[in-house]
Amino acid sequence: MLNQLHETCRKLLEDGTVQVVIGYGQSSPDTPAYPIFVTRPEDVQQLVWNNQCFGNLTTYLTRKEVRAMGKPAIVVKGCDEKTLVVLEKESQIDRSQIVVIGMACSAVGNPPLAKCQACEVHMPRFADATIGQVENPASETDGRYADLEAFLQKTPADRMAYWMNELDRCVKCYACRQVCPLCYCETCIVDKNRPQRIDTSPTLKGNYAWHITRAFHLAARCVGCDECTRACPAGIDLRLLNLSVAKAAETDFGFRAGMDPEVEPVVGSYSEQDKEGFIR
Amino acid sequence: MTNIYKPDLMEVLQVKQHTPDVKSVRIKFQDEARAREFDFHVGQFGIFSAFGYGESTFNICSSSNWKDYIEFCFRKTGMVTEALWRIEEGDTIGFRGPYGNSYPMKEWEGKNLIFIGGGIAMPPIRCAIWYALENREKYGNITIVYGARTVDDLVFQDELDEWATRERVTVIRTVDPGGETPDWTGKVGFVPTVVEESNIPMDNTAALVIGPPIMIKYTLPILAKAGIADEDIYTSLENRMKCGVGKCGRCNVGPVYVCKEGPVFNMEQLKTLPNDM
Amino acid sequence: MSEVISQQTLSQLVDQWISQGKRVAGPTRVKPDVLLYEFLTAADQLLLNGFIRPANTIKELIFPRTEKLYGYRLEGKQIELYDVEPPATEQIVVGARPCDAAAFPTLDYVFNWDYKDPFYRRLRDLTTIVTLACRDHDEHCFCTSVKLAPDDEGGSDAMLFDLGDGNYEVRCLTDKGKALFAGATQSSDKVGKAGPGPEPSIDLDKVKQFLDTNFESPQWQSLSLRCVGCGACAYTCPTCHCFDIVDEGNAAGGARVRNWDACQFSMFTMHASGHNPRSDKSQRQRQRIMHKFQIYPDKFGEILCTGCGNCTRNCPVSLGVKPVLEAIQEIATTETIETK
Repeated sequence: MLNQLHETCRKLLEDGTVQVVIGYGQSSPDTPAYPIFVTRPEDVQQLVWNNQCFGNLTTYLTRKEVRAMGKPAIVVKGCDEKTLVVLEKESQIDRSQIVVIGMACSAVGNPPLAKCQACEVHMPRFADATIGQVENPASETDGRYADLEAFLQKTPADRMAYWMNELDRCVKCYACRQVCPLCYCETCIVDKNRPQRIDTSPTLKGNYAWHITRAFHLAARCVGCDECTRACPAGIDLRLLNLSVAKAAETDFGFRAGMDPEVEPVVGSYSEQDKEGFIR
Repeated sequence: MTNIYKPDLMEVLQVKQHTPDVKSVRIKFQDEARAREFDFHVGQFGIFSAFGYGESTFNICSSSNWKDYIEFCFRKTGMVTEALWRIEEGDTIGFRGPYGNSYPMKEWEGKNLIFIGGGIAMPPIRCAIWYALENREKYGNITIVYGARTVDDLVFQDELDEWATRERVTVIRTVDPGGETPDWTGKVGFVPTVVEESNIPMDNTAALVIGPPIMIKYTLPILAKAGIADEDIYTSLENRMKCGVGKCGRCNVGPVYVCKEGPVFNMEQLKTLPNDM
Repeated sequence: MSEVISQQTLSQLVDQWISQGKRVAGPTRVKPDVLLYEFLTAADQLLLNGFIRPANTIKELIFPRTEKLYGYRLEGKQIELYDVEPPATEQIVVGARPCDAAAFPTLDYVFNWDYKDPFYRRLRDLTTIVTLACRDHDEHCFCTSVKLAPDDEGGSDAMLFDLGDGNYEVRCLTDKGKALFAGATQSSDKVGKAGPGPEPSIDLDKVKQFLDTNFESPQWQSLSLRCVGCGACAYTCPTCHCFDIVDEGNAAGGARVRNWDACQFSMFTMHASGHNPRSDKSQRQRQRIMHKFQIYPDKFGEILCTGCGNCTRNCPVSLGVKPVLEAIQEIATTETIETK
């Protein structure tokens, strides 16, 4: 697979189809891979592909310093690819101006990350070039909320205690926001001060306000790449929050972000079938 | 241990509006003892509070010779200045300071002085002008060149009128081309151009130039050509500040902390600073 | 001759301190894969081996992430300011890494630069730091490159050395340390030894030379390209100390608080006018490196980095300070461009 990746990227750079390849690099084996930006064909050797390729590289597609580099090719896993669907629907990217290299992925992490255990997109679906094959790609469709459902077995008091504990550790580093490809707002709501809707302080109040607001702003948009959970230096279980809102989107609107490019986004469209029970 | 971040409470004595978005405020210490012991040097700044909103940094634009109050001037731009905009006589705000370094009024004694300012940069020059006028015999000729985009943007116009009447003081007012009104009697042109065309004698002169970076950029060569040395041309930098006491790490321009080693710099120092502004 | 303490006695001491109402912190496993310095409620939560270092630092005890500076009450036009009750509870850290403790002598400079910060001073005085010399290191550690060591005594009141047999050698370095362990140790002839630490890999002189002459270098763009612009590095750094001051409250009053802030945020230097001296990510990355390895040393004589590696470990894209320094070193030597 790696050779094919190198070859594909080398050709793309050599014939000028793209000016930059956004992919994964690694300083030594069995250490987390990290984003690299390859601009010269001879440097494609730096690209790696293995189970350390965490990171949803699509977050760079909306950044000005990367856009300035020219037309990109981007290496994506199936989960990352879901983000492209949302980004395109939200008019943040021009899909025709990106070369998508999809990598078949059985799982990242050792042991595999939680998201990988319920993954349905081991094979990329919309890539311009797909590399690799996955044996027995799972197509579990009802396991994806298992962790959330287990959590919901707890009493409300226990759940509240859990979140008090989790959110108490938040230091407002905004790593969750900065890695998220869908947090692309020019000025985030927490950075606005007329009025200051969300306390910036890393107090319980400020932390609750931040995380709940962010979860809602990602409602029916978050594809569950779990980068926020991985990025959090305090180990806060953001995945549970995101699963909660994703489940609501699926239950109430039959919608799953990033799965079907033909379906209109829930929060960006109006349908006469939308529930109106809350209007009394 | 003193709480270095805690401001003094100040009573608002007077609020004066200069332009659609600029006001100046006169305040005095609520605490009499504090009022008596307070002193500062022109060029220093203070951090002013609108409690509930935050703090903002402004030069203390009154003369250090005025003992009963201090003044600051601000443009309504953001959350804190919008809150300050709403204050009235009798209100309470916070002040902490004085911070930073000051203009070298002592070194300037015996020299002619030229003050060049643009727009909202007049207030930090105003304090130096008043100080010089109040020690008139110590300084030579005083020339003031002040410009703004339009007539409505000029601040402290009444004081400019007053200064023009003082001995050996020349006041040149200008507005940008297109900014003049039919009854405007001042000059029309950008400040650097007006400085050049006014043929101001610049021997034995020190200059204080404060304004937008572009104004400073084009004014400096004119002063240099006229023979004023870099070490005799001064400016006051501004930068976003929070603590004002050199700890929060926000205001540095390269290796200098504007709140501690500035805001007053001469051109010789400024030229050593990296482009971090 | 040395003083030693058994694991058991140490645990008993920790429980004793906790029961005396002192705030005792140390490395603890908060969740299966989350190891942090946290305040303990029992000695059995304290972890002293099996890891390189916690993901956070102990600066929280002396420079908390959020701290009230004073309160204000609003009643019509009347404003009243009131002081916050200063902390009075003794704090003890057990099992801190030397790279965490060494931050404080360095931070002392900026917090006492002309204006003495009383909040920092008070908590500093109230805190006793017991470090545990390192036996191991990982690829992110580089204390030896910044003139420190796995057993550097800077900032430590007492240092423990794991003797490998259930006992620790205790070296009391200050009066506070001596007072803490008074009567609890036994004489011994066993002497602890720290691990060798990482091989020094950064030539600070070369780095300084580069920084002194390359403010405008286009290299900063490539050096910072993968940075996502969060504050994970700054907030988990033992020496980063930038802060914000905000008013938080309602119509009746509130408090002016200071919170951790980071030069990596895009709004950090944003002026009210809309002008931003550091509007580019590359400029912000440059500021961080300059502040740590040029500005602070030039001003105070100390590097603002203890080589703990937290920045790289916590960075979502494995950036942090060490990869940038290594890249700078390579540029300074060979004029290549990539950040590894």
